[in-house]
Order: sequence, then structure tokens, then C-alpha cells
Amino acid sequence: EDLYETETANKEVIEARKRALQEWTAWRQRTEKQLREERVARGLPADPFEKFKVKKEEATVIE
Amino acid sequence: MRPIILNGHERALTQIKFNRDGDLLFSTAKDHVVCAWFSANGERLGTYHGHQGALWTVDIDPTSTILATGAADNTIRLWEVRTGRLLKTWDFPTAVKRVEFNEDGNLLLAVTEQRMGYLGTVVAFNINSDVDGPQEDEPIFKITFDESKATVAAWSYLTKFIVTAHEDGSVATWDAKDGSFIQRVQAHEQDMLITDMQMAADRTYFITACRDKTAKVIDVNTLQVLKTYVTDTPLNTAAITPLKEFVVLGGGQAASEVTTTSQRQGKFEARFYHKIFEEEIGRVKGHFGPLNTIAVHPAGTGYASGGEDGYVRIHFFDKAYFDFKYEVERFQPQEVQTTA
Repeated sequence: EDLYETETANKEVIEARKRALQEWTAWRQRTEKQLREERVARGLPADPFEKFKVKKEEATVIE
Repeated sequence: MRPIILNGHERALTQIKFNRDGDLLFSTAKDHVVCAWFSANGERLGTYHGHQGALWTVDIDPTSTILATGAADNTIRLWEVRTGRLLKTWDFPTAVKRVEFNEDGNLLLAVTEQRMGYLGTVVAFNINSDVDGPQEDEPIFKITFDESKATVAAWSYLTKFIVTAHEDGSVATWDAKDGSFIQRVQAHEQDMLITDMQMAADRTYFITACRDKTAKVIDVNTLQVLKTYVTDTPLNTAAITPLKEFVVLGGGQAASEVTTTSQRQGKFEARFYHKIFEEEIGRVKGHFGPLNTIAVHPAGTGYASGGEDGYVRIHFFDKAYFDFKYEVERFQPQEVQTTA
């Protein structure tokens, strides 16, 4: 599609983007770690969809 | 990126939803019929007949076994996906505007409309995954809104919270066990209706679309607004893409509401913004009216949009989409990807 680069951005814009990216990445890592720990604490697999994958494989075997 | 155009509805689309594998797409419209499609080729798998009014909402459980729909005939209906058999009907005094399964597929929430004599509510039901087993008649709890009605609602990660988004531009969280109030934040402009809310794949954050012409990414735990996407049109829908750090927004002024020339044919666009940098990066034209609903393929390989024009358009992304990166992203160590 009409994706276009805005790479003419000046240095300040690039610095702001770097900060935004770092902040977002840090927040995601914190949040994902917390989510993993909460799942483990509840005795759940890390992937919430794991049980559905198992179910699907079993279903395939029956067929 | 040639779209697949699904021409099966006679009226405006209201919601579209991929199943968890992304091979199926479900659509609801004001024409009383629910459609199921194969997303790869746009072939229609089937239709679900029975509703007596405009359909507002649809969701599919994580195993693609049970479909839930809500409509202006004041019912929620559960359907067996494979056969089209009606499994359960729940009756309400007012229309059902949004339904959603939690991540385990064992609970369903529904937003009911406010109307003279009736306040808006969110109800939560237990769902029996056995299609031949009974479903409970009564909800496990009901949240009643005496101030501003909820327009949409969603479940958080681990089914901890129900998040509601409101007519007055606020968002709120509620304990998913009993529906008790946790907190409320005025996320959007005062008295601007929030039209859509969609969770990120892991349900730790969500995006809202609003009549105030912005979309926002919000943390489920704190309700802190993390990102704001500013557009020039009232928004009806917003979705988060997996794989790439983008969001997709849809909206537009209906032809009847505009005096300018923006109703030119096929000019209504899906707008792509960079999720982190909040900048618009591209648009996809095609619809003949406002975009009412957007859903992103769960694998992040494509998206679909449903319009006021009655069409659904499925797009699969091309190489340029996957290659696109800002300069600062190229030199950044890759974020830990959790596809959950």
C-alpha cells in the first residue's frame, strides 16, 4: 500500500522516536514479565492458547 | 495487494471478527443475517438465520465451536459454528450492542442498550463449551450504568477485568469476578462517544476509537493513555496489528452528514498509524462509505474492513508492509516477541 518513509525528519524527531521506542519496549517487557509471572503463579501455561492447541491435535487424531 | 471483496450483505456492516486461526471471518450487518467466510478466498461457508432485527455484534470462541451474536431484536444468540444450529437465546429489554468471549472461551459478556425506562448494562454469562449441553439462563452478574451508558466492552488478560468504554468518552474497569467497580478515566474528549475497543493479542492493553477523531492505546491495569492517534474524521473502529507495530483506524463521515465532496466513490480509507510513533504511515482506499468495523488477522498477515456500503474487503499484506521500518527501529534490538 501507500506506505511511505518520512526519513527526512530532523535529528530532534529521531531522538524523540528513539525515546518513544525505548519507553514502549521497556513498558512491554515489564508488562509481559508480570503477565508470565501471574500465569505461573496461577499454575497456567505461559501461552493462554496452549490448551486449545492440544485440543485441536487430539481432534485431528480422531479424524 | 488486491483485496478480496465479500458481497453477501444487503445493509451496512456492523462488526467483523476472525477466528483464532484466522481461516474464518464472521460478519454481522443491519440485514439480520450472520455470515461466515473462508478468509483465504472469500468463499462463503454459511449463514446463521434467526435474528429478527439488525445485528450489532459477533464473536467466536477460541476453539471456533460457538458463535455469539447480539442484535436489535434484544437477544444474544449462541450458534454451533459448524452446523448453524441455534444453541441458546437470551432475551433482554433492549438491544445488544457488543458481545465478547474471554480468552478461555468460558465466559461471554454483553453490552445492552439504554432506552426509556432501562439503563445500559453489561452482563456476563457462563458458557458451556459442550454444544449438546445446557446453557445457564441467568447471568453471573450485571453491571448497571446510571451515569453514562457503555457502548463497548472487553475482557482483560487472565479474565481479571472487564473494561467498558462509554458514551461520554470515558473508560472504566470492573472486577471480572463480580462486576464491582475499580476505576474510571476520561480517556477521550468529554461527551464524545467511544465507538470501538479492541484488545491487543495478550489483552494487557487495548485501543479505543472515538467520535472525537482520535484513537488511543490504553494500559488495562492503570487505564493510562499510552498513545494517541489524531485523525481528521470521526472514528468508528480501531485495531492493533500483531507482527508489526501498527494500528489500523476506520471511520468517515456518512454522505448524509457531509456537505463537502468527500463522498467521492471508493474514497473511504483504512488508515495505518505507527503504534509507537503515533504517525500516519499509509491509507488503503476502497469503500464507498464510512468504515464501520476493522479486524486484523490474528497472525498479522492481513486485515478486513466492513463498510456502511455493505461490503467486506479482505486485504493480505505485501512485502512492502512487512519490510517497512523507521530508521530508529532498524538499529534497535528486536523486542521480545510474545505471540500470545
